[in-house]
Amino acid sequence: MDIRAQVSMVFHLDKCIGCHTCSVACKNIWTDREGVEYQWWNNVETKPGTGYPTLWENQDEYKGGWEAEDGRLQLKLQSKIGTLGNIFYNRRLPTVNDYYEPWTYDYEHLFNAPEGDDQPTARPISLITGEFMEIESGPNWDDDLGGSPVYASNDPNVGSLTDEERTQLNEIERVMFFYLPRICNHCINPGCVAACPAGAAYKRGEDGIVLVNQDKCRAWRMCISGCPYKKVYYNWSTGKSEKCVLCFPRLESGQAPACFHSCVGRIRYLGVLLYDADRIEEVASSPESELVEAQRGIIQDPFDPEVIAAAKANGVTDGMLQAAKHSPVYKFVKEWKLALPLHPEFRTVPMLYYVPPMLPVLAKMKDGKYDVADAEVEGLKPQLTSLENARAPLAYMANLFSAGNEDIVTEVYRKLIAVRVYKRAEKVGDITQEEAQEALALGNMTAEEAEAIFRLTALPSFEERFVVPPLAREVAIEQIESPYDRKREGGFGSRTAPGRRW
Amino acid sequence: MLALLAAVWLAAGSPAAAQSADDGEAVFSAKCAACHTIGGGTLVGPDLEGVSDRREPEWLSRWIAEPDLMLAEGEPIATDMLAEFNNIPMPNLGLTDVEVASLVAYLDARSGATAVSEPEQVQAVEPIVVGPFEPSGDTGKRLFEGSDRFDNGGPPCLACHSIAGIGALGGGALGPDLTGAYGKFGESGMASILAAPPFQTMSPIFDDRPLTEEEQAHLALFLSQAAVSSRTAASVGQLALLGAAGAVVLLLATQLLWRRRLREVRRPMVARSRARIERSRQAEDERRGTTSETESR
Ligand code: SF4
Ligand code: SF4
Repeated sequence: MDIRAQVSMVFHLDKCIGCHTCSVACKNIWTDREGVEYQWWNNVETKPGTGYPTLWENQDEYKGGWEAEDGRLQLKLQSKIGTLGNIFYNRRLPTVNDYYEPWTYDYEHLFNAPEGDDQPTARPISLITGEFMEIESGPNWDDDLGGSPVYASNDPNVGSLTDEERTQLNEIERVMFFYLPRICNHCINPGCVAACPAGAAYKRGEDGIVLVNQDKCRAWRMCISGCPYKKVYYNWSTGKSEKCVLCFPRLESGQAPACFHSCVGRIRYLGVLLYDADRIEEVASSPESELVEAQRGIIQDPFDPEVIAAAKANGVTDGMLQAAKHSPVYKFVKEWKLALPLHPEFRTVPMLYYVPPMLPVLAKMKDGKYDVADAEVEGLKPQLTSLENARAPLAYMANLFSAGNEDIVTEVYRKLIAVRVYKRAEKVGDITQEEAQEALALGNMTAEEAEAIFRLTALPSFEERFVVPPLAREVAIEQIESPYDRKREGGFGSRTAPGRRW
Repeated sequence: MLALLAAVWLAAGSPAAAQSADDGEAVFSAKCAACHTIGGGTLVGPDLEGVSDRREPEWLSRWIAEPDLMLAEGEPIATDMLAEFNNIPMPNLGLTDVEVASLVAYLDARSGATAVSEPEQVQAVEPIVVGPFEPSGDTGKRLFEGSDRFDNGGPPCLACHSIAGIGALGGGALGPDLTGAYGKFGESGMASILAAPPFQTMSPIFDDRPLTEEEQAHLALFLSQAAVSSRTAASVGQLALLGAAGAVVLLLATQLLWRRRLREVRRPMVARSRARIERSRQAEDERRGTTSETESR
């Protein structure tokens, strides 16, 4: 056993209102500099939709992540020799048009325009060329465009749906969409790190945060292609790659990352997971349908004395272990099995988990009336069968969160529905106790569990949502350099000229 | 060689007081005799007989030490001379102060004693003695190109010089194109350059690895043949063509190697979808158009 600690995350999609506050918080802190205007380390996309960069999930084009051939893991992008062969020309880079061309507006013109017959306008100006431009796309261009024949219908996840399911997704009155906020997953088997020829991308030992060393980065940009989530970006001004740093300076001072802290829907949870690094390869190369189970398996019980001993032997601090015991992520992912990894088939073993959104119940215009799946006939009973009558095809959710394994998402939904039915029976009283018990049985859970899920979903305190471990970075630093030297302010870019090795 | 022997002989037979001028003579035959005579008439550069009377000693010292600088400054006498001598500038020979002083002393001494000097300077520029072999332009060419090696291990001329008649790619660009060189320096000038190149960039290389007399003869012949031809515009065009063809081949190779690269994603996707929507709209319109036409009738 090689037990390591990972600061990991849960996003409860049912609570996301698509306000983009998280993206803006991140942009204000990290990416309002020259060269990174187009980067959104946190972005919120509408699903079904094509996301940012456009069609990032389509690995036939982008070649991100891993593939397991006869159980052997290999980067989709290229072999080690391929890396050498293609080092001066990376064939799999998104163009800036696939992100979008960042812009500002000619605000000055509003003040300086000469008097005329028309109101002056502020034309858009490219932040790359400085010229006036036509806006063609943006970081959330298909926002709320569920059902769009240009965007939603090109979503890679609808590819394997039946024709009927696909029409249903786009039909008026039956259209549905939800929001998918994305940050770097700080994967356990990161494609970005594996693809980097310069050894600049690395996973921090004490907390598993994945970073790009700005002094070592040589702009080969293989990390950008290697990451299947397209969460490493190239700074055209400094010539270095940058990515979500999980606000490590905030974490080190005990605060939640900015996007977590500012989240309006309070959908975000942060906590420590312990995992067994010896099993990474085995987990990442398991057959597709078993990937989610395997990933749950690599996460270790923080109360198990054996695990604790192994962790301590590995130098995991007591504070970290304590945080792991209170981790909301552990509950959502391992205990309740509610939160699922996004696209586990990319095989990077992402450490950001999603509770899938509840599906709106299927309703139709029937005899000129808006009919919620026979609600009139059977009272509120249809709540129980809302899974069968859900608008969004389960296959779609399975494509997103369980590598196509519908059983796994079904299980999750049964639980979510059970909690709803159970709490409704208790609080509103228009559902009978039998029905509530039936729902619990279907969800394979006890009343206590339903109560706990309800509490952590609907009424969590700030401290329950964010269990930030004491990272004790100052202690870690003391071992290699003087904290007084270190004290000066950090920042982006290279403070020192990169050292040459020849 | 002969000049050196003469210098040794002179040095051995002269009193110690004439040492400086004697040193100057050695320097003269090694560095200056390629282009100048004393009383033997104009070669590449002017005859230096009586030069101490014509020029101020300071001017002469400086001219010998740094002619390139004086030309660059636009010094009037230097500029006039440049025009007078076919625009062949006097090169900076990289002489030390002592060498310059001894040269000036030597020129001074010779200016006063012109009559005595006649036989010697002829020796210095005498064309290479042709032995029992026939000099051949082809051999010269092979030597120039490096297909035949120089006996003493000197690098082939091609490494630094280009010349007409050696193919489209030409030779190196460090030294000047030698196509017209023979015409410029003349037979005896060329001969002495080949025997002991006086140029700063060449002498460190060829002082230790001199060309044999036969090699000199072969090369001289080759250079004289080259002098009558010239690098034609066609050969320059050939080179451009070769370069362009090379570039195209390289481009094709990279295109082939990386043909499965990621091109744009968003724009083609949007264009495809728009076209699809447009098609279905047209189909719809047609259907409606036909029905409404029948209705209006
Ligand atoms: S999600 Fe983050 S850690 Fe995972 S491969 Fe992409 S950049 Fe690397
Ligand atoms: S701030 Fe929270 S609720 Fe708003 S878009 Fe971001 S994740 Fe969703």
